[in-house]
Amino acid sequence: MSERASIDGRALEPAPGETVLEAAGRLGIAVPALCKLPGAAAVGECRLCLVEVDGQAEPQAACHTSLRPGMRVATASARVLGLRRAALALLASERAPALRADPDGSEVERLMHALGVAGRGAASAPDTSHPLVRFDAARCVLCRRCVSACADVQGAFVWNVEGPGQAAALRFGAERFVESACVACGACVDVCPSAAITDRDRADAPAPEARTRSTCGYCGVGCQIEIGTAGGRVVRIDGAAAAPVNRGHLCAKGRYAHAWQRAPDRLARPLLRRGGGFEAVSWETALAFVAERLDAIHRRHGADALGALTSSRSTNEAAYLLQKLFRVRFGTNHVDCCARVCHASTAEALRAVTGTGAASASFDDIERAGAIVLAGANPTEAHPVVGARILQRVRAGARLFVIDPRATELVRFAAHHLALRPGTNVPLLNAIAKVLVEEGRFDADYVAGRCDGFVSLAGYVQKLSLDDAARHCSVAADAIRAFARELADAGPALFVTGLGLSELTQGVASVRALANVALLTGAVGRPGAGLLPLRGQNNVQGNADMGAMPDLVTGYQPVTDPAVRAHFAALWGTPPPAAPGRRLPELLDAAAAGTLRALWVQGEDLAQSDPNQTHVLAALERLELLVVQELFLTETARRAHVVLPAAGALEQSGTFTNAERRVQRVRAALPPPGEARPDWEAIRDAARALGLDWRYADPAEVLDEIARAAPALFGGLSAARLDGDGLQWPCPAPGHPGTARLHVDGFLRGRARLSLVPYVPSPEADVAGHPLTLVTGRVRDQYNVGTMTRRTPLQALAPCDWLELAAPDADHLGVADGERVRVVSRWGETAVPARRSARLTPGTCFLSFHQPESHTNRLVGPQRDPESACPEYKVTAVRVERIG
Amino acid sequence: MRGLNEADCPLPPFPLVLVRERLRRGETLSAAAAETARVLRLPEAPLLAAARSHADLVADARATRVCRGTSCELSGAARVAAALADDGPVRPVYCLGHCHRSPIVLDPDGDVRVEVDPDRIGAELGRRAPLPVAPRIESLAPEPIVTRRIGRGDFSPLAKAQADGAWFVLDAALSRGAEAVLAEVERSGERGRGGSGFPTATKWRAAAAAGGPRVVVANGDEGDPGSFVDRVLLERDPHGVLEGLALAAFAIGASEAVVFVRSEYPRALERTRAAVAEAERAGILGGALCGAGPPLHVSVVEGFGSYVCGEETALLAALEGRRGEAQPRPPFPAERGLFARPTVVNNVETLVNVPWIVERGGAAFAALGTQHSNGTKALCLNAGFAQPGIVEVPFGTNLRDVIQDWGATPCRSDELEGVLVGGPMGSFLAPEASDVTICWKALAERDVRLGHGGLLAVRRGADLAALARHLFAFAADESCGRCVPCRAGSAEALRLADEDLVAHAPRLRELLATMSAASLCGFGRGVPGPLEALLARVAPA
Repeated sequence: MSERASIDGRALEPAPGETVLEAAGRLGIAVPALCKLPGAAAVGECRLCLVEVDGQAEPQAACHTSLRPGMRVATASARVLGLRRAALALLASERAPALRADPDGSEVERLMHALGVAGRGAASAPDTSHPLVRFDAARCVLCRRCVSACADVQGAFVWNVEGPGQAAALRFGAERFVESACVACGACVDVCPSAAITDRDRADAPAPEARTRSTCGYCGVGCQIEIGTAGGRVVRIDGAAAAPVNRGHLCAKGRYAHAWQRAPDRLARPLLRRGGGFEAVSWETALAFVAERLDAIHRRHGADALGALTSSRSTNEAAYLLQKLFRVRFGTNHVDCCARVCHASTAEALRAVTGTGAASASFDDIERAGAIVLAGANPTEAHPVVGARILQRVRAGARLFVIDPRATELVRFAAHHLALRPGTNVPLLNAIAKVLVEEGRFDADYVAGRCDGFVSLAGYVQKLSLDDAARHCSVAADAIRAFARELADAGPALFVTGLGLSELTQGVASVRALANVALLTGAVGRPGAGLLPLRGQNNVQGNADMGAMPDLVTGYQPVTDPAVRAHFAALWGTPPPAAPGRRLPELLDAAAAGTLRALWVQGEDLAQSDPNQTHVLAALERLELLVVQELFLTETARRAHVVLPAAGALEQSGTFTNAERRVQRVRAALPPPGEARPDWEAIRDAARALGLDWRYADPAEVLDEIARAAPALFGGLSAARLDGDGLQWPCPAPGHPGTARLHVDGFLRGRARLSLVPYVPSPEADVAGHPLTLVTGRVRDQYNVGTMTRRTPLQALAPCDWLELAAPDADHLGVADGERVRVVSRWGETAVPARRSARLTPGTCFLSFHQPESHTNRLVGPQRDPESACPEYKVTAVRVERIG
Repeated sequence: MRGLNEADCPLPPFPLVLVRERLRRGETLSAAAAETARVLRLPEAPLLAAARSHADLVADARATRVCRGTSCELSGAARVAAALADDGPVRPVYCLGHCHRSPIVLDPDGDVRVEVDPDRIGAELGRRAPLPVAPRIESLAPEPIVTRRIGRGDFSPLAKAQADGAWFVLDAALSRGAEAVLAEVERSGERGRGGSGFPTATKWRAAAAAGGPRVVVANGDEGDPGSFVDRVLLERDPHGVLEGLALAAFAIGASEAVVFVRSEYPRALERTRAAVAEAERAGILGGALCGAGPPLHVSVVEGFGSYVCGEETALLAALEGRRGEAQPRPPFPAERGLFARPTVVNNVETLVNVPWIVERGGAAFAALGTQHSNGTKALCLNAGFAQPGIVEVPFGTNLRDVIQDWGATPCRSDELEGVLVGGPMGSFLAPEASDVTICWKALAERDVRLGHGGLLAVRRGADLAALARHLFAFAADESCGRCVPCRAGSAEALRLADEDLVAHAPRLRELLATMSAASLCGFGRGVPGPLEALLARVAPA
């Protein structure tokens, strides 16, 4: 039995490794500590946590003094109070003249008030150059909490203490803060004790009257947020501290990009096309019109003439209802979602290989990983919170292997980076597999015990030549060999993948080839390892899960299976049709051809986001009925016959499913503007207008039906059970805890399938007259087509799309930084400003697609993966010309 | 998870060493930091910020370094600096370790000039012959330990050192085993000679018991201004120090060792490097110890001009490429030190004792000295004494006897105002107060801090206010910037001292009290000691 210790006369059992500060906190005894962050190493700067320890002549700093058995501590003796006051006075006087005692001020100023240190309260001139974050050096007490948060949470390393000894000052590495490397995650703001670093969005906002826990509506990470509202508007968004996904952390989009919610051009009433313009009408009128037109087209042209696209930005409940409506009411399987144009290849390949298209691993596997392979993904920009977790894991010692045409931010920390030519994943991954097989660097037990197809794969890769692969990929054979060897030596890795593997004509093949490597190294189903595709949108996983797919109904149940149809016939009263419907690009083709006449689009801007823009616009123009549920009058909505005003992620309830299969609750923090309605509600009401007796009173009732529709995956889901951290599917029964890791004891399909994947060069490779290869993608400070982010202060950080050129290419073309250039592909052309980028190798260029005026998707051609129908956004042959 | 297990791995490169190499090739500091970070796969901004925090890396490489150590300061260093400033850039440093021949300057090309006459700067300084300037070195112990070689000449060539017995102790110890070495050091009761007096074997035991690859570091950046024995040891007996280091490594099972030598000791650095190279060529170091033992790789690292890097956690931070700042303990370096490896940091003088202890037995060492303090201690007497130099005394010797008998005139009490013992973080003693036994316990009872054993004579009539002002300036200049009391307190104190030392004495006392009670490391806690005594003389309360 260990001896007890006491603090201020209160006895307690010392916990192993516990500091006096932590122990005092446990007893509810407040000891000031400005420089100590919970969970971070002690800094020892502020000296405010000094306490008296019996038997020690000098006071001890509670933040770095371990509580030992028998220790007797006094936290508030006259002597330590005097020292605290003296240290606080020095701290406030030194270089923080703007501080003053204030019972309602910052943490330091409240402490000054409590200890009777006046401070000067001098006027200061903060740096307000950044649209989101403000820095006032005259309030900085050099506690270094921000240094720790920036380095050890985000990994941006903006804040540093610089200068010898006395000259030490907090610096951000630039003249003006907006020019710093800050990514505006807000982690420093959250920990700054003196309001030296503050959020600009809440500087003048009232204190929140209410806080709503919800799920972020941007990317597929699914961060948990606390939405603070006051006076009918959002005043601040903070990360939910205990959430397993983000642990309180957010990115600039999640934290600051909420002004779209109150943008003046939000749609507040249904719009009906009349002549050349729109007329605002009542919901009743709008839905009656929609019902009449849909029925008329259905009557005249049959089920094949109608289709629907659910929204990956909206809830599971909305997606479920829309696919159900079209299947039940019109007997068509022409339902799809934008997963088709992003991770369809990934899902298709992984389903064939393992039995499910979803991630095998969880985000928590990042912190367990000894090695991480990052292929075709740029998470620090596109999935910042996960990017930060990966970066921190690599800093802690995990080996990072990057396969990407660009030297993305994480490449700096990578053990290996293979900067392959865009679209050449297959020969590269085959070559890696070849090295693994030939050198016996694969997990023979795992392969023998769990995989089919090894003998033929081994025979196939052995015939390949590393030199051929090197030539195809523009990567040295030695680099491929070294990558493969070290990967094998590093043990099972976590394979984090993105659209660089999926949005290709060889998308499915790329993912199969990657899965070969993962299986050969025994990675899938193991802790800290496995497959973790990063889903792009907040609920793209959920849309596929819900059955917004032409061949699969809710829970990935094939429409071709009579038993499935019988199950849904019992549940819905009508079975889905047996023949698979058209996929998204095929729907547009059909529209362009005139066979598809009515299309319901839920919150997706096809006109800006889909490839071969000229073709898309022609398809939309030809539709007899285009119904769009939207927040704003997007390029697509402008072409609609009926626009239904929608609620955004902050304004509707239901669930989103993130990239690790975690179903999490979404809760409306405030009502949508005007007459705008949540998507699920609009669809229910449309169904009623179409004569269906849909009685869902709230999203929870829809979720209950989803659980019945696909009990194997979702049987245990209910709104009540999802409170807190949500549940990862499969969750087949009410008491089931959910599933963090798939394929642990066996694959869902039994044994995994190793695949032979021949390389087929992209049709965009080596196109005469188009010497550069264009990769399109996202940048950190915008989100997709920018519908939301362009209406927030983030627009100031990324006001235009840049064509990024490798410096030698720019020099060769004679293009100056900032110069507008013409980019021409075989499919279209556009004009955008260009700049040099050190991230690219010559021959490859990059362009984002966030701003409508960039028309990036005019350039992307019609090529698709033959299996998944996913377009080839990542490889387009272009030439760049100077204008004038 | 082999990716996370760095066992048996060599130490990663020291980032700031690479930055300095690039600087010396003519790159700018920001380019050097950026490229180093890229090569080492480190974030760039923290490395640049750290580089900008080390005096040597931001200083003008063409500057002449003028020693502003207390001995030089009392010998007219300010006038030397002023006179030199007419000819080119000048940079004050603490200290060049030639306190027996003050004032001192260090040329940009690495030559030390001693007893510089501020009135004859210019051509005169240029003509002056560089070192050698050997101090008087003697031992009052029954037999010399620390000074066993340096008292007899230059033993830096390997052959000469070996002829005197160097490296034979290690060779013999390899067959006796690590535990035997540890046990002898334990039996010796040796305590660290850098000032804190922490038992050497306790550190070693802790590191030996810790898991993973371990490291030993010889701290050649620990001398307080006024102490120069470490410099002389590294210059004249580098093999003695290295043998001690190798024994420490062997005892705790470390395969990596570092000798960190302050840049203000260019000759010591050069000799240490040469000694390591020679020992490597001879098959003693580099691979298997003495060709037969476990491997030991030794790196010699030049310091970065930050005084506080003599503090062990600051030293390790600098080696890792961070600001040279004191770090909170725990974790202690012996548990989690350099690049998170268990690390023993020992002072040069501490290490040079080790071969003697292992050869002659811990008991023989323990037989010297007092009940509480075993062995001997090297004391450095500055130019203020009639007979400056290094004297090794057994613990138990009376400090006054050393001052009067060995240092001699002007140390008769009627000519002596006081003695600064242990440098700026030591104690200022009136002549009568120097009647104290040199022994950890006796010194502690009298609140005398011996530090690294520097003794500085302050003659009667010396300007004590100027001395106090100098010590305030030292505190402000060399505070690492980590903790508030030391960083802000020393800045505020210097401002007040410059304004009016006597008038502001009450506030200065408050500041010193805050610094001594609340500072993070021994620097801020130690600086107030002599200042409080000086204030009592200059402005009695």
